[in-house]
Amino acid sequence: MTPTERDATRRLDEALGRLPRSVDPAQDLWPVIEARLQSGERRSRARWAWQAAAAVLLVVGSSVLTASLMKRDEARVAGSREAAAGVVEVTPAAYGPAYAPDPGYLAARQQLAKMLESRVERLPPSARHKLVANLAEIRRATAEINAALAVQPGDPLLEELLVNAYQDELAVLASVNDLTGANGAVASPDGKRVQL
Amino acid sequence: MSIERAWSTTGVALLVLAPVTAFAGSAINERSAADPAGQVEISNTAGSVVVTGWNRNEVEVTGELGDGSERLEFGTAGKVTRIKVILPKKSYGVDGSDLIVKVPAGSSLSVNTVSADVRVRGVGGAQRLQSVSADIGTEASTEDVECKTVSGDVTVAGNGTRGLLTITTVSGDANVTDAAGEVNANTVSGNFNLGLRETTRSRLRSTSGDLTLASRPVADSRFDIESISGDVRLDLAGPPDAEFDVSSFNGEIRNCIGPKPVRTSEYAPGRELRFREGQGSARIRIKTLNGDISVCRK
Repeated sequence: MTPTERDATRRLDEALGRLPRSVDPAQDLWPVIEARLQSGERRSRARWAWQAAAAVLLVVGSSVLTASLMKRDEARVAGSREAAAGVVEVTPAAYGPAYAPDPGYLAARQQLAKMLESRVERLPPSARHKLVANLAEIRRATAEINAALAVQPGDPLLEELLVNAYQDELAVLASVNDLTGANGAVASPDGKRVQL
Repeated sequence: MSIERAWSTTGVALLVLAPVTAFAGSAINERSAADPAGQVEISNTAGSVVVTGWNRNEVEVTGELGDGSERLEFGTAGKVTRIKVILPKKSYGVDGSDLIVKVPAGSSLSVNTVSADVRVRGVGGAQRLQSVSADIGTEASTEDVECKTVSGDVTVAGNGTRGLLTITTVSGDANVTDAAGEVNANTVSGNFNLGLRETTRSRLRSTSGDLTLASRPVADSRFDIESISGDVRLDLAGPPDAEFDVSSFNGEIRNCIGPKPVRTSEYAPGRELRFREGQGSARIRIKTLNGDISVCRK
């Protein structure tokens, strides 16, 4: 360190030493800050309560809806066309945010779904319910992978799983079409009688 | 010669089909000479189908035709024997039919049902068994066996000889013992428990069902196992000679054989496990999104 630098350092130290140890604010701001914090906390609690109420409402509402739909379906085995519409509902397919599915794939998927719509009523009610639940399971899985791909685009594991999940959905649609096409009749709910 | 060609060349005039009119709820008792390595096709919507291989060159059908059924179609044309429960076109509420069928042990077999359980024993030819909601039980040996259901369960007992086994269900479970060779299985939510002997190829896929595979991979064998949210458990018999490629996006990986899994990225949740045992002759690949993976010795 040169003599000039030492002198500058000394002056800086002296100036710092003359500064007061603490500075009182011109006015006491704490009561205002405290009031605002308490107000925000109350709003946060209120928002949490609304969210909890909405979640409970959603769960109860969907449970009631599911129960009523299942009850109606069991009571109206013959009127299964409404259920069929639910089974073959085709949700949009995607490969993460960066890709669009092949038009040929979409056409094949649409065609299989349409074919299934006309055949699903041949399924026994228990099998129909399971088919609905399992197609929903595949769609839930593809949605989950898509969501993960949105966070990690280009992840090879996710891309592979997604492509295969879409293939699985096609395979299920084709397989059920095949099974229902092989037999024109449907067994009764208890499996002992045949309905035509 | 394909089955279709056999039918076309034989022609309708040569069909030895002998439609048998059976009265409602009546007993069935039919018999016909058959090729020892012929094809037997069975169709029954509801009730049951039990097929047994025997050492005679003939097909026999006994059992009971369901109340309200129109008739049992039974006949042989060339190498093909057809057994089909015919239902009336305009009726409602027909009882299921129970068919007990005996076929030459070397026959190939095709069975289609909706809710009729299918049981097959002692049939050595290729089998194609399909049901919507009923269970399927059969034995596998050297010929191809394919079982397909929506919600029915599948049970296959092998005898250690190599063949090709394919199982497809939507929600039905599968239980396989002592099958060998190539085993492929696909399910959405069914739980598959596959106890295999020497395995050359295996491709298993599940959306949410659990996959449990116990096997002895042979040299150059290939295992490809994939699940979205179902757990995968692989138990290997004997000293493994394989290259492993295991990864999961969110699931845990447990390895009893080699190294511990590592994270694929500092910031992402994925884990992977790559290692080799022995010469690495076999290739074992397991992928899941959320499902846990376990690789251990049997």
